[in-house]
Amino acid sequence: MFSSYFKLAIKVLGRHRFFTFISLFGISFTLMILMVTTSFLETELGSHPPLTEKDRMVLLPRLIMKQMVTDTTWSVDTTMLDGQPAYDSTFTVGKKRQNSYSSSSLSYSFLDRYMRDIPGAEAHSFFCSDTQFDIFINGKKLNFKTLYSDATYWEIFDFKFLAGRPFQPSEVERQVQVAVLSRKAAVDYFGTTEQVVGRSIEMDGKQLEVIGIVEQPSNSKDYVTSEVYLPLTLMSGSALTETGFHGPFAAVFLAESPQARATIVESIRQKADRIPLPNPEDYNKLELMPATVIGLYAYYMMPVQDDPEGALQMFTLVAIGLMLLFILLPTLNLINLNISRAMERSAEIGVRKAFGAHSGSILAQLVFENVVLTFLGGILGWLFALALIYLVNDSQVLGDTQLQFNTAVFLYSLLICLVFGILSGLLPAYRMSKLHIVNAIKFNNL
Amino acid sequence: MIQLENITKVYQTKVIETTALDNINIEVPEGEFLSIMGPSGCGKSTLLNIMGMIDEPTTGQVTVAGKLVGNYHSKATARFRNEQLGFIFQSFHLINELSVIDNVELPLIYRKVSGKQRRQMAEAALTQVGLSNRMKHFPSQLSGGQKQRVAIARAIVGQPRIILADEPTGNLDSAMGNEIMDILMRLNQEQGTTIVMVTHDETMARKTHRLVRLFDGQQVS
Repeated sequence: MFSSYFKLAIKVLGRHRFFTFISLFGISFTLMILMVTTSFLETELGSHPPLTEKDRMVLLPRLIMKQMVTDTTWSVDTTMLDGQPAYDSTFTVGKKRQNSYSSSSLSYSFLDRYMRDIPGAEAHSFFCSDTQFDIFINGKKLNFKTLYSDATYWEIFDFKFLAGRPFQPSEVERQVQVAVLSRKAAVDYFGTTEQVVGRSIEMDGKQLEVIGIVEQPSNSKDYVTSEVYLPLTLMSGSALTETGFHGPFAAVFLAESPQARATIVESIRQKADRIPLPNPEDYNKLELMPATVIGLYAYYMMPVQDDPEGALQMFTLVAIGLMLLFILLPTLNLINLNISRAMERSAEIGVRKAFGAHSGSILAQLVFENVVLTFLGGILGWLFALALIYLVNDSQVLGDTQLQFNTAVFLYSLLICLVFGILSGLLPAYRMSKLHIVNAIKFNNL
Repeated sequence: MIQLENITKVYQTKVIETTALDNINIEVPEGEFLSIMGPSGCGKSTLLNIMGMIDEPTTGQVTVAGKLVGNYHSKATARFRNEQLGFIFQSFHLINELSVIDNVELPLIYRKVSGKQRRQMAEAALTQVGLSNRMKHFPSQLSGGQKQRVAIARAIVGQPRIILADEPTGNLDSAMGNEIMDILMRLNQEQGTTIVMVTHDETMARKTHRLVRLFDGQQVS
C-alpha cells in the first residue's frame, strides 16, 4: 500500500512544480534554520569533552552581597485635647528591600575557607579565567587568554590532550613553571602542535615549560575556553592571599551523580547564610549563585538577575516558543497549499472511497504523501544546513564555537521533519478524508 | 442481489426542496444485466449511487448482496463495497499519475493482498479486457475506449459480484461503445456478474436483460 502511496506522492509533486518549489523551499529553509539551531545548542549544551560530565557539575561563578533595609513609616496625628494640642504617632514596619548591591566573582581565600567541604561533592576545583596576556614573538603580538587552576580542574573537565599531560598537584604546590596550551595557542606561538611539549613559552615575565596541548573546546564557555592553562600558584600579586570576598575566582564541584547536584546547590546556599560578613553596615546579606552548566549558560543569555534556574526556565520557554513559531508559520502556509493541492484531487479521493478506501486510509495516504514531501525538503534542508554550518565555522562568526553536524542533530532533524510533515498534512488530509464520495467524484479533475 | 424499497431522495437547500427519487422499488436478481434510462436530471445516477452505497437515500431501505445497508460511512461498509461492488464511470476517473496496471490494482490496495498477488490479479483483469500490452502505459497515452477498458479492469479486478456502470459508453463513439458493451455482456454471461448500467443510449439498453425507465424521479416502466 505504502509503495503505491510513495509512487503517487512523487508523481503528485511533479504535477504543480511551482507549488512544489514553494513547499520545498519553505520546508528546507525552516529545517535548515532548525538544524543549525539544534546543532548550535548541541555544541553549546551537549556532553562533549571537556564537559562530558556536565550533568554532574555545579558551578559557582558569583557572589552577591546586599544591604537589606526595612521600610518603616512614621505618621504623626495632631488633635486638640482639653484645649491643648495633642500628638499621636504610629509606625508601620514594611517589607525588607534591597538598598545596595554588589555582585562579582569570588576571591580565592573565600573559596579556600568556605567552599572546600561541600556535602555531595566528590571533587572541587577553583580557577580564575579572566586574565589576558600580550605575548610578542617574531615581532608579532599575540593576545592569550589565560586560565589559572588547581590540578583537580583536569579531573573534573576531561580535556582531550593532543600531546603531553596536565599539571600535577605537586607542581601546583611547588609553583613549577609549567603550562598547558590549547591547539590554537600552540599553532600561533610555535607554528605547529608537533613536538611542542618540552619547549618554553615566555609569558608574564616567566619561562614556562609546555607540558601539554589540549584540543580547543568547541563552545563559548569561559570556564573551559582558554589559550593557556597555568597552575593557580603562578598568579601574580595578592590574588591568592586577598582576604576580601570578591575576587577573580570561580569554583566547580563534581557531584557523585546528576541527582546529587541538588544537594550541592542547597548546601552552598545554606552555607551562605552562615558565613559572617566582614562589614555588616555596608552589606548585611550574602548570597551565592550555584548553577548547573545549562543554568549558567541560560543566565548569560537571559536578563534574569542572580537566578540561573529562573533564567533556564525563561530560556527554555523562549527557545520552545521561537521553535514553535518557526515551525508554525511555514506549517500554516503548507496547510494552505496542501488544502488547495488536495482539493484538486477530490475526484481521486472519491474514486478511492468508492473502491473501498475508508476515511482512515485516505487520511494515512495524504499524511504519508506530505511526510514524503517534508522528507524531501528535509534532505534539501540538511544539505543547506551543512553548507551554512561550514560557512559559520569558516567565518568564525561564533568565535571558538565550532558547530558540528552530528548524529544527534540528524536524529532531531528527522524528528522535526516527521512532526512538520504530520502537522502540515493532517488538517487538509482530515478534510479530504471526510469528503462525501458523490460530491468528490463530481470534481472531474483526474 | 440488490433490493431497493420505497427509496426517496430529497435534496434540500434553505430555499428549495428537490425530489430526485420518489418512492422507487426495484429488485435486481443475481446475474441480471439491468439498464436504467431516462432524461438528464431524472435521478438515474442518484439511483445508481444509492445501489452502490456511495449515496444515502432520504428514506427507504437498501439491501445489497443480502446485506441491509446501515451506516454508509463505516469501515465495514467501505470493506463491503470493496469486496462486492465494482464501479465504472462515464469519464473513466483513472488516476493520471499512475500507470495502467497501478490504476487497476487500486481496489486491491485496500485488501490484505500481497504486492505480487495484486500484480497477478491486475494483469489477469487487463488481459480479460484485451489490454495486456498496455500495462506500463499511462492513461494520457490511451484512447477513450482503452481508458474505459482500464476502468472495467479496475472494476473487475477484485472479482465483485455486482458492477455498477454510470454511462460507460457515454463518452465514446459507437464502435468503442460497442466494444465496451461486449465486454460487459461477456462478464455478465460468462461470470454471472450482476450489472446495473445507466445509459442514454436506447440501443445499448436493449442489449441488456431488463430496462427501467425513470422520469422526474419516478419509475415509469
